[in-house]
Amino acid sequence: MLTTSLIALPLAGALAVFLLPASKEWVGSLALAVALAELGLWITGFFGKRQFDFGSAKIQFEQKHAWISDLGISYHVGLFGFSLWLVGLTVVVMTAAIAYGLWAGRERANAYYALMLFLTGAVVCVFTAQDLILFYVAYEAMMIPLYVLIGVWGGARRLQATFKFVAYTMAGSLLMFATIVVYGISHGFDLTSAQQSGSVWLFLGFAAAFTVKAPLFPLHGWLADAYRESPPEVAAVLSGVVSKVAIFGFLRIALTQFPGPTHDLRTLFLTLSAVGLVYGSLLAFRAPDVRGIVAYSSLAQMSLIGLGVFSQNELSLSGSVLQMVNHGLISTALFLLAGVIEMRTHTGALARLGGMARGRPILASLIVSIGVISLAVPGSNAFAGEFMILAGAFQRGWGWAIPGLVAMVLAAMYMLRLISAVLHRELGESVTKKAPDVRPAELCVIGALLAAMLALSVWPAAISKRSFACLDQTQTTSASSSTPAQFGLACVPSPSSTEQTR
Amino acid sequence: MIAAAAWVCLLAPLVGVLAIALSGNRLSRRAAGYLATSSTAVAFAAAIVAFALTLSHAAGNRRTTTTAFSWIETHALNVKLDLFVDPLSLVMMLVVSGVGTLIVAYSIGYMDGEDEERRYFAYIAFFVFSMLLLVEAANFLVLLVGWGLVGLSSYLLIGFWQDRPSAIAAAKKAFVMNAIGDAAMVLAIFLLIQHAGTLDFVPVFANAGLLGMNTWVVNIIAASLLVGAVAKSAQIPLHTWLPDAMEGPTPVSALIHAATMVTAGVYLIVRTHPLFEQAPHVQQTVAGIGAVTLLATGAIALVQTDIKRVIAYSTMSQIGYMFLAAGIGAYGAAMFHLVTHAFFKALLFLAAGVVIHALGGEQDMRKMGGLRKRMPRTFIAMLIGAGALAGLPPLAGFFSKDAIVALAFSGGVYDKMLFAAALVGVLLTALYSFRMLFLVFSGEESKETHKQLAKHRGGEGPGWMMWPVAVLALLALVGGWLQIPGAWHLFSDFLGRGGSLAVTREWLLSAVSVAVALGGVWITWTIYSARTQKAPRAPKALVEKLYFDRAYDLLFYRPAVLLAHRLASLFEQQVIERSVEEVGTGALRGGRVAAAIQNGLARSYVLLVAAGASLVLLLFLIFR
Repeated sequence: MLTTSLIALPLAGALAVFLLPASKEWVGSLALAVALAELGLWITGFFGKRQFDFGSAKIQFEQKHAWISDLGISYHVGLFGFSLWLVGLTVVVMTAAIAYGLWAGRERANAYYALMLFLTGAVVCVFTAQDLILFYVAYEAMMIPLYVLIGVWGGARRLQATFKFVAYTMAGSLLMFATIVVYGISHGFDLTSAQQSGSVWLFLGFAAAFTVKAPLFPLHGWLADAYRESPPEVAAVLSGVVSKVAIFGFLRIALTQFPGPTHDLRTLFLTLSAVGLVYGSLLAFRAPDVRGIVAYSSLAQMSLIGLGVFSQNELSLSGSVLQMVNHGLISTALFLLAGVIEMRTHTGALARLGGMARGRPILASLIVSIGVISLAVPGSNAFAGEFMILAGAFQRGWGWAIPGLVAMVLAAMYMLRLISAVLHRELGESVTKKAPDVRPAELCVIGALLAAMLALSVWPAAISKRSFACLDQTQTTSASSSTPAQFGLACVPSPSSTEQTR
Repeated sequence: MIAAAAWVCLLAPLVGVLAIALSGNRLSRRAAGYLATSSTAVAFAAAIVAFALTLSHAAGNRRTTTTAFSWIETHALNVKLDLFVDPLSLVMMLVVSGVGTLIVAYSIGYMDGEDEERRYFAYIAFFVFSMLLLVEAANFLVLLVGWGLVGLSSYLLIGFWQDRPSAIAAAKKAFVMNAIGDAAMVLAIFLLIQHAGTLDFVPVFANAGLLGMNTWVVNIIAASLLVGAVAKSAQIPLHTWLPDAMEGPTPVSALIHAATMVTAGVYLIVRTHPLFEQAPHVQQTVAGIGAVTLLATGAIALVQTDIKRVIAYSTMSQIGYMFLAAGIGAYGAAMFHLVTHAFFKALLFLAAGVVIHALGGEQDMRKMGGLRKRMPRTFIAMLIGAGALAGLPPLAGFFSKDAIVALAFSGGVYDKMLFAAALVGVLLTALYSFRMLFLVFSGEESKETHKQLAKHRGGEGPGWMMWPVAVLALLALVGGWLQIPGAWHLFSDFLGRGGSLAVTREWLLSAVSVAVALGGVWITWTIYSARTQKAPRAPKALVEKLYFDRAYDLLFYRPAVLLAHRLASLFEQQVIERSVEEVGTGALRGGRVAAAIQNGLARSYVLLVAAGASLVLLLFLIFR
């Protein structure tokens, strides 16, 4: 079973890596091999006799075993189109992060790589869980390695960052746990068969946890410290993958199981997203360091995706999935680049950087190309995602797209500021002439991410068309256009008629 | 066949970029130049093939659409990557790849010995690719992609000299101004998706009348497209980036900021004219913006002392003529001026480049003078360029600009005002172009010039620089003859947009405007060459570029920075971060305990994980 293997392989790998009595290089190499095998395993989902069928709205690669049968709790996993992409994003980002950790030579290797692999398995489990309790267990299992990774391997102010992170996410988790129990007992724990609910409070219980996790404005207080103090590859995982768990939660649980409250509270969440988009962009524009810019641009991007999810039409939802993958790749690459810079200069402060382009052509090329992709230059994958989200938001109401257009200009301002501050003008005080160009190992990791971005730039339709299957009008029964057993969107011939059918 | 040629034309420069980028240091600097030049030359050859094949079709049957694959696709919207070859795009393809090839070849001489030459040639070939994508696009989204990518290449090339703070600032300014235009165009595209249901040019324009039923929608679409065009073509009020863009290498100024990219706004308006015709007020605004720009920037050009900035302001002024023509519906005239302008403006920039190159980077015209004897060939090239710019017969600008002046004469009061502006513009053009010519070439050599010339072997530039100049001089000389009132209209016949006037009136109006231009030439001759009169003092408002930069700084940039700072210091730090910090300090005390657990032993982390998991399990049992 592919889904279970995708969960089990990294968990087993974590155990093996933890027990391997060898030098940190060997331990890291084993972890990287496991991550690559996981990547290969994911790719097999596209080939062979039992390949994923994007045309079907039904759950695929499904597996179900009774767990606590009295309560109807089961080990139930499976994939929809969009979850397949999110799992793919997870394995790609985790592979890149582990490879970077190996290159950076993280100490206490057994624990470090075991935690990274454990995290991989947990996140894959979150993206595939079809049972609320399983979802919650995986969600918590994902948080614990993160607490440790930040708290132990982080920067100077790591404890403060960890506590903030713990305080926020624990509050969210507890709220979610209570919600799951109350909801599950009355409606059933299995997501494919659970009844839809009209309770605003239960909806808000889930929504609050996901809002913290994404994060969306105004529950983003943990973001700046956590992203600044984590090791770069952990920050990459945090913003690249873990933030997507929240959006996945919105998609899979909040929107599907609570069509009524979603509809009633849509304006609230659209507003929070729109505010967060502009707010994050403005803060990114004044952030004094590389990671601060990337962190707040992450806030802006997650808000953009939130805008897409809550606009709730085919265009915006497909765009959101595409943009989740895009942002995962981009922010991973940006955090790793921040690590590359910090490794050479021991600072991320823009005031102390500068002039790194001269004599370092590969570093310059990587920063410029990933930077302009992240500001969504037309033709890039990020542009395609942003365009679809905003086009969908525009159909929801023209006013929702306007903050997005403002943010496009702001994104140009803060990313160009970042690029120039690092690369251009005279040499910064922390930059020595000897600071080397990007090493082959670093190039392999970041270059591969860039290649994925470029491939998606050429063909974004690969994801946008294959995220949600098409449901006939007859199959769509609810306002959110999905029945619990399957996940698809109502197909309508042209956008102009979208408004009327909805 | 046409489709194949269109793809070759588009992709050849991209292949050049990839070849240069991927071969890195293995490629010699000179070889990078050859590679870039030949890739654009292939594009030009393919454009000629497409042109010849299209010409062999009947006049009504000259459209080819070719599709590669779906770029953005959902069940509701399908935007394909497809190309559109029709006379309008062919004209642009020929100009972009043809003039592009000449300028890239010129760069081989100009950039010789420059650090990071390879990067330069990769960027400039990427620009040619992006520009070809812009003009070959068959739908609004692909057009926007090309539109954005030319902006990106412009950013990269303006900031090519990365250690110059002024170059980097100029590059950023250009990109951000263009991002404003891009955002406006995105808005237009959203409206088209919603109200037309498609982004393909052919059905959108065919149903423009239907779209026009909804006055508001079509007005906003046209206005948004206009904002995009104004930003890209550096028209007032989004023009301030172009003079600063002169920080880039001179061939870049010639190709991107004179001959091709900045005229994309004109192309956009002509391409989408069925939409503009449904929004007559917006179209009149197009003409008005053109008129205001051609006057204001023409006046500013009069007081510039930097040779490249004079040409930059003249570019805005000439594009103002094209906007004026497009705004009064004279699309053929607008496009014809675009083509001839590409010839003589590229010529002027490249000739100025020869001068700058010979003087070791000096751009201040006050320090030049008397170069006619040392650089006779450059002088002749510059003379042809300045004459063509001023619209003197029989040079290219005479035929194209006077057509616009004459066409503006017809119509009501608004059009008469446009005509007056165009005529005053003719005088301004003659004044600034010949002021530049006389300042640089007549009079006596200054000591500094003499020293510089001696140091740089003196005289003209190397062969790689001179032959493109010669070709462009020839084009600026004869390019206008495609369109001779009363005799033939080859250009507008091909474009399929006539709109010519009664022949006698056109010649009469031409005579008036030539007289005005000659008057201007005479004035500058008395001041700057014969020096019988003193030059008037430059008005402060003009030296300050009519205060646009300062106003934008005060109105937009500073408030935005202030807002960002206030948000960060008052809201983010005080409210968002502090609220948890209280919790954080409390937890920190508890953290001492936690720190004891984090003793670095791997066991304890697993213990922690296990404890977490068992906690979950415990809760489980409780709730069970």
